Amino acid sequence: MFHNRAEAMALALPAAVFAAAVFLLPVILLLAEGFKSAEGWSAAAYTGFFSEPINQTVFWRTLRLGAIVTVVSAVIGYAAAFAIVNLKPGTKGRMIGLVILPLMISPVARTYAWIVILGRTGIVNQALQGLGLTDGPLRILFTETAVFIGLLQLFLPLMIISLISALENMPRDAVPAARVLGANWFQVFWKVILPLTKEGVVIGGTLVFTGSLTAYITPAILGGSKVLMLETLLYQQVSVANDFVSASVIALILIVMSFAANLLLKRVATARNNR
Amino acid sequence: MKKVILASGVALMLGMGAAHAQEKTLTISVYAFAQDEFKKIVYDPFEKLCSCKLVVETGNSVERLAKMEANKANPVVDMAVVSMADALAATRSDLIEKIDTSKLSNFDKLYDIAKDPNGDGMSVGYTFYATSIAYRTDKMKIESWADLLKPEYVEHVAFPNVTTNQGPPALYMLGQALGKDSPDLKGAIEALGEKKDEIVTFYVKSSQLVQLMQQEEIWAAPIGRFSWAPFTKLDLPIGWATPKEGQTGGMNVMVLAKGSKNQELALQFMDFWLSTEVQAKLAEALVDSPANKEVKVSDQVANNITYGQETAESLKLIPSDVALDNRNAWLSEWNAKVGQ
Repeated sequence: MFHNRAEAMALALPAAVFAAAVFLLPVILLLAEGFKSAEGWSAAAYTGFFSEPINQTVFWRTLRLGAIVTVVSAVIGYAAAFAIVNLKPGTKGRMIGLVILPLMISPVARTYAWIVILGRTGIVNQALQGLGLTDGPLRILFTETAVFIGLLQLFLPLMIISLISALENMPRDAVPAARVLGANWFQVFWKVILPLTKEGVVIGGTLVFTGSLTAYITPAILGGSKVLMLETLLYQQVSVANDFVSASVIALILIVMSFAANLLLKRVATARNNR
Repeated sequence: MKKVILASGVALMLGMGAAHAQEKTLTISVYAFAQDEFKKIVYDPFEKLCSCKLVVETGNSVERLAKMEANKANPVVDMAVVSMADALAATRSDLIEKIDTSKLSNFDKLYDIAKDPNGDGMSVGYTFYATSIAYRTDKMKIESWADLLKPEYVEHVAFPNVTTNQGPPALYMLGQALGKDSPDLKGAIEALGEKKDEIVTFYVKSSQLVQLMQQEEIWAAPIGRFSWAPFTKLDLPIGWATPKEGQTGGMNVMVLAKGSKNQELALQFMDFWLSTEVQAKLAEALVDSPANKEVKVSDQVANNITYGQETAESLKLIPSDVALDNRNAWLSEWNAKVGQ
């Protein structure tokens, strides 16, 4: 398309300069804060961060919730995406529209709705008591369960959409062929569908996991300070303690976790391929 | 003829001079709260009065103080309103200057607690608020701050997070009620930590409480008087407790930026804000409780704000130096005992 590399580079230059100036440089400056100390460069802020029991709790909670949300959304997402791609074109369009619909509503509004739904007098507790499953109202709000439900609802559409596009690119007759050759449904999924849609899982999984790590409103409102996550802790460090060093430590941890999740997902996906 | 032209030329230049004076600007730094009302009641009328321009910067006090610190060498802000403790922090960082109260004609009209809250002459209180407990009068009886931790009530209580403005005062009173009052609030935080699983939530935004109260998620929560009004509009029996240990609260103060080039104008603005007329209007609009004791309001308004000599005198405020010297210790103690 281009006569030479230089020409292509020249065209990319403005965007690259812009990205470097307003994104890369500030991020590097911010993260550098975490490695500065009175005696020069050191990782003391990081070891200090992880030596505090509360920070460990918050770190593991964030990792755990992110992982659970990702796995559960992949399971539900596969089922939903599989059902949707096999629909007639018109219905399929409408169903995809329904999946995307929640993304068009502000997360604040959605999260506040959960306060009503999950409350002591909310529909969930009424149903549980109506069915005789519980004697009194359960406390769901301001627990990890509430944060999990909120995050799952927030990010499930991203997983479904990624999986739909991956499933659509899968050869139509791959599944029938595997069935004819005697594979059961589990084998079909594990040996045929999963390898052929791994791109979708990697993209969807990364979106959901990074989304869960960085979502602020949902854990802040549904979890409150009883369920601190790294992102709510970060906010606390900046806005209350005015401690930008700890905040940049948390920021780097979140970035590393996101990259690690992406690499891990890619590894898992390719590992299946190589077998 | 020549003289006339000359005279009109001079007049024109004088006029321009006056126009130039109109370009005078005063930069103030305030809480991002009720700005529409402040514009109507304080900013617009003052701009007319001083024929100057007001530039309003808003944000929470941590952000705004950080900004003042960053611009220390060349201050942008002329006057700021902050909490009592933040005013002391600004004094310690050498960001603010002594206020010449002889230039404030309304100074003598202030309640005593507002005149010099930190006792260093660096700030003047313009509003204060009581903090007590909003509670369901049909479900419980609150006679002491310690009643919140009673086993039959504690599962229906929301307590302010230590990071909010209401947190430390509420802990301070809880400590007094438990007979464990020390500046580090250790006793109160520990008592709260023991009940942390029972307590519904440690709230950060008081606006959330109205919904929780309406959903019967909670029966009681310590709140600042300024967030009381919405509770009275719920169709529920909710009362404002007067615990035997007293009420606590907080005060917001005005400070003068060090090195500001518009000190006279800033003082003029402070005086205007403290005037009986402006303070009364702010009270009527339920924006800020008056620190000016000449302000008279209707019973209905008084019900919704922190009002009157008796209330003003009964407030047990945390001394600023205690708040400042212990803030980080409170946070780490809280994170260790309650936050996990």
